[in-house]
Amino acid sequence: MRTKFHVVAVFGAVLLMLTACGGGGVDNSSSSSGSGGSSGSGSGSSSGGSSSGGSSSTLGLAAQVGQKAFFDKTLSSGKNMSCASCHSPQYAYGPPNSLAVQLGSDPAQSGVRAVPTLRYKDATPPYEDNAANPDGVTLPSAGGGFMLDGRASTLAEQPELPLLNPIEMNNPSKSAVVQAVKDGQYADLFAQAYGANVFNDTDSAFADLGQAIQAFEQEDPSFHPYSSKYDLYVHNKLGGTLTAAENRGLRIFNTAEVANCSACHYGGVNFNGNQGLMTDFTYQAIGAPRNDKSIPGNPDPIPANDDPTYYDMGLCGPYRSDHTPAKLGTPDQYCGQFKVPTLRNVATRNAFFHNGVFHSLNQVVNFYNTRDTNPEYWYPSTGGSGTPVVNPTYALQPTYVPGATVAKFNDLPPEEQVNVDEEVPLGTGITPPDNVNATTLGDGVQPRAAGSTPSITDQQITDLVCFLNILSDGYQVPDVQPTSGACVN
Amino acid sequence: MVSSAFVAGSKTGNPTLKAGVYTGATVCVDANGNGKCDGTETTATTDGSGKFTLTTADTGQIIADITTAAKNTASGATVPSHLVLRASAAQVADQGADKIVISPASSEVQRLVEANGSSYAVEKANLASRLSGPAFGQGVTFSGVDALADVNTLTGAQQYAMLYEYNQLSNRYTYATTKLDRGDKYPDALAVAGGDPRLAGVTGITSGETIPADTRTTITFAQAQQAAFNIEGVPAYDNIFIIMLENKSTDAILGNTTRAPNINNLLGKYNQLTTYYSTGNPSEPNYTALGGGDDWGITDDNWFGCGAFGPNAPTDVAFVGGTASDGQPLPAQSALPPLDKAHLAGYSTNAGDACSSAPTSGTNHNEPGDNLFTLLSKSGLTWRTYNESMNPGQDVRADSIADPAVADTYNETNTDGTNVTGSPNFAVVGGLYKVKHGPSMAYQAARNLPEFVADTRTIFGTQYTAADWAKTSVYTVPKGWIYDQFGADLAAGDVGNVNFIMPDQCDDMHGVGSDTSCSNNNNGETVGITRSDIYINKVVGAIQSSALWKNARKHVAIVIMFDEGEGSSTSCCGWNAAGKGSGDAPVTVDASGKATKGAQPSGYDNGNNGHGNSIFGIITNAQDAGTAPLGVKDSDAYSHFSLVRTIQDMFQIADPAADASYLNRAKYTEFFIAENILALPEFNSSADTHFDSVRPINHAYVIPKTYVQKLNPADISGVGVGGSAVTPQTGPDATQSNVWSLTK
Repeated sequence: MRTKFHVVAVFGAVLLMLTACGGGGVDNSSSSSGSGGSSGSGSGSSSGGSSSGGSSSTLGLAAQVGQKAFFDKTLSSGKNMSCASCHSPQYAYGPPNSLAVQLGSDPAQSGVRAVPTLRYKDATPPYEDNAANPDGVTLPSAGGGFMLDGRASTLAEQPELPLLNPIEMNNPSKSAVVQAVKDGQYADLFAQAYGANVFNDTDSAFADLGQAIQAFEQEDPSFHPYSSKYDLYVHNKLGGTLTAAENRGLRIFNTAEVANCSACHYGGVNFNGNQGLMTDFTYQAIGAPRNDKSIPGNPDPIPANDDPTYYDMGLCGPYRSDHTPAKLGTPDQYCGQFKVPTLRNVATRNAFFHNGVFHSLNQVVNFYNTRDTNPEYWYPSTGGSGTPVVNPTYALQPTYVPGATVAKFNDLPPEEQVNVDEEVPLGTGITPPDNVNATTLGDGVQPRAAGSTPSITDQQITDLVCFLNILSDGYQVPDVQPTSGACVN
Repeated sequence: MVSSAFVAGSKTGNPTLKAGVYTGATVCVDANGNGKCDGTETTATTDGSGKFTLTTADTGQIIADITTAAKNTASGATVPSHLVLRASAAQVADQGADKIVISPASSEVQRLVEANGSSYAVEKANLASRLSGPAFGQGVTFSGVDALADVNTLTGAQQYAMLYEYNQLSNRYTYATTKLDRGDKYPDALAVAGGDPRLAGVTGITSGETIPADTRTTITFAQAQQAAFNIEGVPAYDNIFIIMLENKSTDAILGNTTRAPNINNLLGKYNQLTTYYSTGNPSEPNYTALGGGDDWGITDDNWFGCGAFGPNAPTDVAFVGGTASDGQPLPAQSALPPLDKAHLAGYSTNAGDACSSAPTSGTNHNEPGDNLFTLLSKSGLTWRTYNESMNPGQDVRADSIADPAVADTYNETNTDGTNVTGSPNFAVVGGLYKVKHGPSMAYQAARNLPEFVADTRTIFGTQYTAADWAKTSVYTVPKGWIYDQFGADLAAGDVGNVNFIMPDQCDDMHGVGSDTSCSNNNNGETVGITRSDIYINKVVGAIQSSALWKNARKHVAIVIMFDEGEGSSTSCCGWNAAGKGSGDAPVTVDASGKATKGAQPSGYDNGNNGHGNSIFGIITNAQDAGTAPLGVKDSDAYSHFSLVRTIQDMFQIADPAADASYLNRAKYTEFFIAENILALPEFNSSADTHFDSVRPINHAYVIPKTYVQKLNPADISGVGVGGSAVTPQTGPDATQSNVWSLTK
């Protein structure tokens, strides 16, 4: 394949960012796991009893080790970056800033994908090409796994990927990581958990470190607090009554013919007694715009995208290798597919989609709604004539020259653009008679015609965002319910 | 003074019953009708042959006061619980002073006279017609004289049919006596029109609920006699057929006349619960909840050995074989079914794995304690599960397996003319019959019942005929195998009191394998729904055309329901109302109703989270006879736990005065939760304590005017498109009637 990964030189725009993962001071290696500002206890017992952050004493030995490691900056080459630097407990274990991608431990390096939240990850099954869908009825499809391309099977395997990635924590080897643990303040605890001789075998010690971090993420309630207003609502608890706007938003979220969000951001009962995770763990090719300098005023284009031959195509590479198309230039269903994220705490994020190209929830919903009807809002265009038309403020492209040709799906090579999803609201969702399970352009699902009316109205978008807001953990029931405001009536 | 006795241990599916007499019982003419032999009333005592001589000038009904000092010669033991039986003055006149037979039947005739405002002659004839017809494999005919005769003088099938009636009635009248002796208030709290009056002033009850004043008074003898047949406002039924369908939310079926015309016709004509919630996901937790009022944290469809170690380790024993009551030859079974994945879902060959035969961890799938099946069995009542597409001769505790030698083409036409033709000559795939869909399967004590194998029965198929199955290459078909015990039992009067009917995974809307007629999805548009609609029509039609259904003196109901819906995990009515991490655990309850939370079994709070709204339709033979109302819609909130409570009330296998008698979460009424909130942390901070709690399906509660029906969030998808929207109801129901009502 012609796509390849380039470590790209640092650009000035990136250097201006002051609170990149490695350089900021947002994380606190001594903080306890439950100290996250957004992981507060909310209305406490009413939200399922699991909302308060666990203190070390309630964690098992392995999880205590994992907690120390999670906040340990010495586990990076520059001793300046811990897991928590990018997965900040104060931001639902997601990025603490609005950067599309984060800087590495070596600040000359920059990531290639937006940082996902680590909350509600513990129910994720390992990746399978034909994974069962948690809704119990949707046909099996690519699903499960960690990282946006699912290439880690478990939470224990996952930490290796950032730890050893030169553009992330930049450790040169497993032994360097193990040595850092051995030299660290919790070496004794580590030995207590995994045996006095744990440091004798680098590979097993490194694997144990992964197990420890997994234990922390599984055991500590701050990784799954279920303390949002939505939790109060679905559990019929005091304070969980939705406002009129939130209720409308919920309906729109669920309605297949309008927003259809719940088709992938599945809120139903999930594997192993989980529920309301707002993801079905599947992979979809949404066709997000390329996050590069073609977007006027782009605050943080991904440096890797400066190479026009570079494409990040998720399941088919370049970071995952088992679905690399056998032949160049041939459509491959896996190309362009990225993992469906949970929508819990989505309103606390400032970078959306795998490439972080969007920076507000309103922008994301509008993209879903008008990707096909108004591609000129989102993708660069060339040619045309006449006075440029001003696009809506949420658009990535501020203007459009009448008659210009829009480079739709410009973050995928042309031959892979057939993989994009055309379900509602993106496309028409109308399947061909011979394939009722079709979902993509290549399957024969029709896009929405350019210039046609989008699926969701502006009012519905407002309501939808109101609903998404109630998915944030740490909800405090107000003493007096507000009677006015955008998300009330 | 004649009696019956139930002797436990029958392996056929029908109980062993003996005839006898009560000795040492006190008899008097109950002149004041209070059900007691008072000081001024002359008494006599029955002798060693159950006879008595009473000389009195009193007038009125004769009562027999059978205390725990009296002896039942049928059982050879003293009477376990105080019982009062009676015979009316009219019966005395009819039978003659020297031939009076006091029996459960004589009591029943007088109770019906009082209930219906009718006469002795009418109810005697009614009892005779009730008992006449196919019964336990033979046709029997009763005259009015027979119906009130000494059961010891009857023989054969007629005697057995009468003993079965005696046993049920003795249970009921014993309970009536208990209520009278206890001084219960009448009616039961959860049968009070409007709502539970005990909730007045109770802390933690959501404001705005309907709570009527408690104007109940101490029960009288006459009231107790009737109350024992209407526990918590649920009428006594003789038989219920619960037809289980799979995995469709209300919005995929209701109004979907293209795919499900028969189901919609039935829902439109007969009765319906419109806020019915499933309690788990996927199938197995729902069926397990239906069998015993809890899913125990099961969140998969795996076999009963999963996570079952230590005190939960399976204690199944080998079954030597035998013959069911209807003549079905029962092959022998080993202590456990074949240990492989084809027979046991999720089976692991790695010792120690949760689903291996030697697990060391995992959520227990082998559940302890009583369940509907053991309770029915202990009362001398009968249950059946009728299962389509078992491999003939298979272990009933195993999934059915693929059989390349059994092949056929599905080809059926629905009542609206829609033809469904499946893949040509398609061979039987594994898992047409699945243990995960058996409400009895997860319960150790159910599987250990002597009648367990005999009660796990067959029902006719659609795709595969008896001739197809006879070609099997995977099991030996037992000689004389009955492929349709359901049809045979309906014809012979050998169905159970409680019958669960499980269509196979192609006829229940689930889907298995690649036969094109068996495809299913949740959008309401797949052919599998039509296939299931065709099957429902056949099953309901078979019941409606049976002699049992047409016997106007029997009370028979059909339920059409789904194990679960889809979408979000909201449930109601005894659910785990705080979800994963709630810290809930099974409780033990003492005689005063105080609950104590036990240790939490591994994974327990993953369960009982619900899986949305689904269809629940009710059809009764009283409706077809024109005596009960049609088109009743009850929108009060009910769940599988409510159904378990309802079945317990319906068949008198619980006592509202003893919370502990209700199975597991079926005891979680609003009053019980409020009184025991410290043991039930999942119900803290409830915004709607009525919705969160269990009640019997009886429509006693009246929904307040401004109350908005709580539907599953995933069913609330109505913004004016698609036609599948379910609009929540506001305020009380248009019909204020009980779906089980026997009268208009």
